[in-house]
This record gives sequence, structure tokens and C-alpha cells, in this order.
Amino acid sequence: MDLELLRKTGAEVAARDDVKYLLGWKQGTYGYRVAPAFVENAAGAAELIFSPLCTANLATYLTLVEQLPVPRGEEPDTRKVALMVKGCDSRAVTQLLVEKGIERDEVVVIGCPCPGVVDPALLAEKYPETEEPAEMKWDGEDFLLIRNGEETKISRDELLAEKCRLCRYPNPVVSDEMLGEPVETWAPGEDKGVEEVEAKDVDSRLEYWMDQFDKCVRCYSCRNVCPLCYCQDCILDRLNPTWVNRSVNFSENTAFNIARAFHLAGRCIECGECERVCPANIPLGKINRKLARDVRDKYGFEPGVDPEAEPFQASYKPDDPEDFIL
Amino acid sequence: MSAMLLNKEKWPEFVGKLTGKNVWAPQSDGTEMRFAPVGENEKVVLDYNNTRVPPKGALFPQTETMFKFEIGSDKVEEPPLDQEVVVLGLRPCDARAMTIVDKLFKWDIDDPYFVKRQEKTTLVGLACNEPGLNCFCTSVGGGPAATEGLDVIMADLGENYFVEALTDKGKALLDETRDLLEDADDDAQKQKEKLSGEAEDKIKRSVETEGVPEGLPGLWDDPLWPRVSASCLGCGTCTYLCPTCHCFDIQDETEGIDARRCRMWDSCMFSEYTLHTSGHNPRPTRKERTRNRINHKYSYYVDKFDVIACVGCGRCTNLCPVNIDIIEILRQVKEAL
Ligand code: SF4
Ligand code: SF4
Ligand code: SF4
Ligand code: SF4
Ligand code: SF4
Repeated sequence: MDLELLRKTGAEVAARDDVKYLLGWKQGTYGYRVAPAFVENAAGAAELIFSPLCTANLATYLTLVEQLPVPRGEEPDTRKVALMVKGCDSRAVTQLLVEKGIERDEVVVIGCPCPGVVDPALLAEKYPETEEPAEMKWDGEDFLLIRNGEETKISRDELLAEKCRLCRYPNPVVSDEMLGEPVETWAPGEDKGVEEVEAKDVDSRLEYWMDQFDKCVRCYSCRNVCPLCYCQDCILDRLNPTWVNRSVNFSENTAFNIARAFHLAGRCIECGECERVCPANIPLGKINRKLARDVRDKYGFEPGVDPEAEPFQASYKPDDPEDFIL
Repeated sequence: MSAMLLNKEKWPEFVGKLTGKNVWAPQSDGTEMRFAPVGENEKVVLDYNNTRVPPKGALFPQTETMFKFEIGSDKVEEPPLDQEVVVLGLRPCDARAMTIVDKLFKWDIDDPYFVKRQEKTTLVGLACNEPGLNCFCTSVGGGPAATEGLDVIMADLGENYFVEALTDKGKALLDETRDLLEDADDDAQKQKEKLSGEAEDKIKRSVETEGVPEGLPGLWDDPLWPRVSASCLGCGTCTYLCPTCHCFDIQDETEGIDARRCRMWDSCMFSEYTLHTSGHNPRPTRKERTRNRINHKYSYYVDKFDVIACVGCGRCTNLCPVNIDIIEILRQVKEAL
């Protein structure tokens, strides 16, 4: 990725009168961290980066930012929000358009063709993080890690995030402007994580998920980071009726996790953010990808690729064969 | 009290001697470390940096059943809370955090749940030889070998653990395991001090707190708050995993006619935390919530209890999904003062 082009485009977009701010990525405060950047003017674009460390899906901020009531006598700010998207992130934008969570003229989408990002946990495990902010680059087929003035070449296979290994849309599917040439797509390969769990018998599968959900601290980070979890009034916050008790135990945690997963069936665009942020290390991606695969195989539907699509959970066909419904 | 040595080979036996009590210790589930009750086959792991979830749950569980009742009857049943608990291998920062929340739970009234649990709990700490990347305990009154809040301190000397009782509770525990311990000589004492000095030198990050508690209220409308909170997701990570965060909610939960009153961790980073029934929210956005989190720890708590409610464990910074870094926030606070 050409940083100069990225920053130049960023500066132009952030300076537009009809743009409130531009969402991009910037170097974090230490180690491998990258932080979301809210760029309000051309000067701010100088800190933008796009690298294999840019895992965050910024589309979540399109619906996450809280709006204060407009004071009497003032006009609401109707300027657009601009954002940089990788392939997966662009699918979130598309899905939001399908669901009318956002309108097309409310956003400016800057597409970043994406060769794949690293798995941050794996990176830190293999190359222990230090307090000096580190940089990373794509280098042909490999990753290049630059820290404390030293360059280390690391093969793509060693660090590529699982979601990227399985990615079928590395090039943004929606954009107003594309930064550079599209990347060549790759064969997604087997989803070993999902297949391993599928291969278990019912009892050991239950045991596996019991162990996982038992660790959940109900921080709702997975929900909040998800670009497609944006209900104003989430059932998990409801007390009357209480769909899921506040008590943190296996039973309630399971109820919560099932609710989250089902509400994302046919909507999750597999950006992997929920799994990345989970402080309890629960492999949420396996659940989402299993549901996504079932929706794809059984209904032939894939979310976030066609802005004109009918939302999966809101569509009904009278001639549905229903051949697998009990 | 006198210092002893425990040969590492005798460690399983040491843990075994404590059965009958509920022993909590760091264990690995293959991907992460967490404090969990030690069962028959579980292996206690002491060679670890720190757990993601702090051991504060030993005194302040994430979900506490206060009492059970039946709908339509006036029968109320209180769980006994008489189980003796030993927490093994907790870090000095987490032990110190318990002395900080102690002030809150014994402020206007003594919180019976906290106090009862505390009476029955013995805290056996383990000094840090290798502090983590975001540890800054030395900036906020602690240190990698600090003993505040602990009943016993241990230190890893290689072949042996250095073990020293710090309170009567700690002494009682070491009396029970006396036959496994030997007296520590001067060399061991010196080695322990050397290691803790080295550990302090390995701490890389720091905050400056001078003037911060008094100065923070004056920064109420400072542009630093929207800046540092813009990307916040409003999740429970930084607060649930903070060893000094102590906010709770109380709920009645029912199953048929069986009901229980529970209290559970709550988080000031959640939007419903301050939401009024009228729909008004005095902390309407993440800016106000982030400002509250920092003010609570670095100003309000100091004002009330004369201690900073942050022990510098670094968890909020390690685990924030969007790199909201308390060390950086405090740097900006300091700059704005
Ligand atoms: S899933 Fe695809 S688009 Fe998303 S980061 Fe990975 S390779 Fe890039
Ligand atoms: S992020 Fe993980 S720990 Fe937090 S609520 Fe979601 S599943 Fe539970
Ligand atoms: S459920 Fe997870 S993977 Fe799917 S869109 Fe939401 S954050 Fe991304
Ligand atoms: S600061 Fe980070 S961890 Fe805390 S609520 Fe915000 S996003 Fe979550
Ligand atoms: S505020 Fe952060 S660094 Fe301080 S005690 Fe809490 S989690 Fe640890």
C-alpha cells in the first residue's frame, strides 16, 4: 500500500465540507497496537497508516457513535462520515446498507485492497511485544516486521489471521474511491476450526462449548465491536422482560452467546472482530462461520456482498422447500 | 516473621496440604491463564505474567447470591459464606487492589459479603520477576515485590520459593505446612532483594501522578476527553478486568417461584449505567464515561479515601480492543494541567 496515496486521499476527503470526519487507522501507543483515527482535517491525515496490523473494522463506528439531541434552534449535523475499509469491512458497510442501518449518501467509502492482516495474538506470542511502537508492511508474499530499527521477514502463512485465510473478498465490494490496484484473490482453503468442532459428537461438542462459555465475563465487547450489532435497544440490556439474566454463569452465558450468534446469522460478514476483542479468548469465529456456512449452503445467501439484496432474516419465500426444518 | 524456603519439588505437596480449604490458583486452559479452584488434576502454574481476569472475585465475585427466597412466602435463605479460601500465587498489584476496594466496602457500613469473605480468605502472593509490558505499579505506590494486602509473600528464586508470612493468617498457613519448609538463610534473603530490584528496573512504562488528583476536576471540559475517548466501544473490558473496579448492580432473578437476589459487577463504561428511568442520561456519551473512569480512579477516590484507585496492573491497556491506553491518557492529563 502506497502510504503517500493513502494520506493524500485521506487529507482530501477529510478536508471536504460535506465530511464530518474520516475514520482510518493510526499507529498505536506501544508495541503492535494500531488505533482507530478520527481525522477531522487535512493535517490529521498525516498519521494515517494501512498495514498488516490494521485489524480493526471501522464500520462499527458508523452506528456506534452516540448522537446528542440537537439543541433548540440549531440544525443537526448532516455531514457524511468517511471511512477506510478492507474487503471484510466493506461487506459490513454493504450489509448496513441492505438493512438500512445507514444510507448510501451518509458515507464516503475509501477502499483498501487487502493482502490479509496478521493474527495479533499469534504475532505477540511468536515475536514478543515491546513497548516501542512497531511497524509492519506487506512485502511480496511475506510480512515485514520493523521494530527497534530491525527488520524481520515473516512468512505470510505463519501469521495470517484465520479470517484472512478464509477470506473470499479481500477487495472492497463497495467504495467511492479505491486506493491502488485490486489484490489477487486466493483460495480460501478448509475451515479447520469449524470442521474440528463439527466432527465432535454431541456430548463432547457440548462440553467444548460449556468450557468456552464458562469463561465469558459478559463484557459485551463482542457485541459492541460488531458493526452489525447496532440495535438501539439490545435484548441483552432489557430488564423487563429479562431475556437473559445478569448473573454470570454457564447457563446465562450460553443464552447470551446463542442470542448473539443467532441475531447475526445471515448478517455476520466474518470480519473476526468479536473473536479478536474477546478478553476471555472464546473462539467466537467458529460459531459465526458455522452459521454463515449453513446460511450459504442451505439458503444460497451471503451477506454483505450485494447492496440490492433482500435482508436474509427478513425474507420469506412461499415456495421454500423447508427440507431440513424439523 | 521469619523467612523460609520451599523447594519447588515440594510445591504439589504444599498445595495438597491445603485441601479442605478452597484453593484458588492460576491455571492454564491451553490458551490463557485464569484463577480457578484447584481440583484433583489441575496443575497450578506459577510461571506466568498475570491472569486476564483479576482474582478480585475471591472477595467480590462477579455474581454474588445475597439471599434466596420463594415468591409468595417470607422464607429467606442466606448462603453461609463459611468456606475457607486460599488464593495462591496472586500478583502484588492485585493484592494491593484488594486493600483499595476494602476502603469502599467498609466505608459507611461494613459490606457483610465482602467482610465475611475477607475473614475467611488467605492471600498468598508471588513477587514478579518479569513485569509485563504495561505494568506501572511503581508509579502508583506499589512494586513487583510489594506486600501490602498479602498474608504470605513468595518469590521465585529458581530452585526454591522464598516464603514469608506477613500476618497471623499467613503464619497459621505456614504452620500447617511447616514440615515442607526450611529456614531461609541470608543468601536467600539477599537473592530475593536482588531479584525484586531487577524486576523494578525492568518496568518500562510509567505515569506521573503529582498534581493529578487535585488537577483533574479543573480539566472537566478539556478537549483531551473527546480525543482520548473517540474510539471507545463502551464495553466492560477495562472495568471488569480492573482489580480495583468495584461497581455493582443488584437484581432479583426468578425461576418459577424460586427467586434470588444477586449482585453482580457493573461497569461505568456501559451506557445504561447512569441511564435514568426518564430516559435522561447524565453521562450521555463515551466521552463522559471515559472521563468518569479516569476521574474516579485518579481523583474522586483520592479525595474520599486518600489513595489512587489504580494499582498499575496494565490490564485495561493490554486488553482494550482499540488501544485506549491509561498511561497515555494520564500523560495527556499531565500535559493539560
Ligand atoms: S478478511 Fe479479507 S479483507 Fe478482511 S482483513 Fe482479512 S484478507 Fe483483508
Ligand atoms: S467478548 Fe468474550 S467475554 Fe466478553 S461478552 Fe463477548 S464472549 Fe463474553
Ligand atoms: S459477528 Fe463478529 S465476525 Fe461477524 S460481523 Fe460481527 S464482529 Fe464481525
Ligand atoms: S476504553 Fe477500551 S476496554 Fe474500556 S470500554 Fe472503551 S473500548 Fe472497552
Ligand atoms: S485502571 Fe487499569 S492499570 Fe489501573 S488497576 Fe485498573 S486495570 Fe490496572
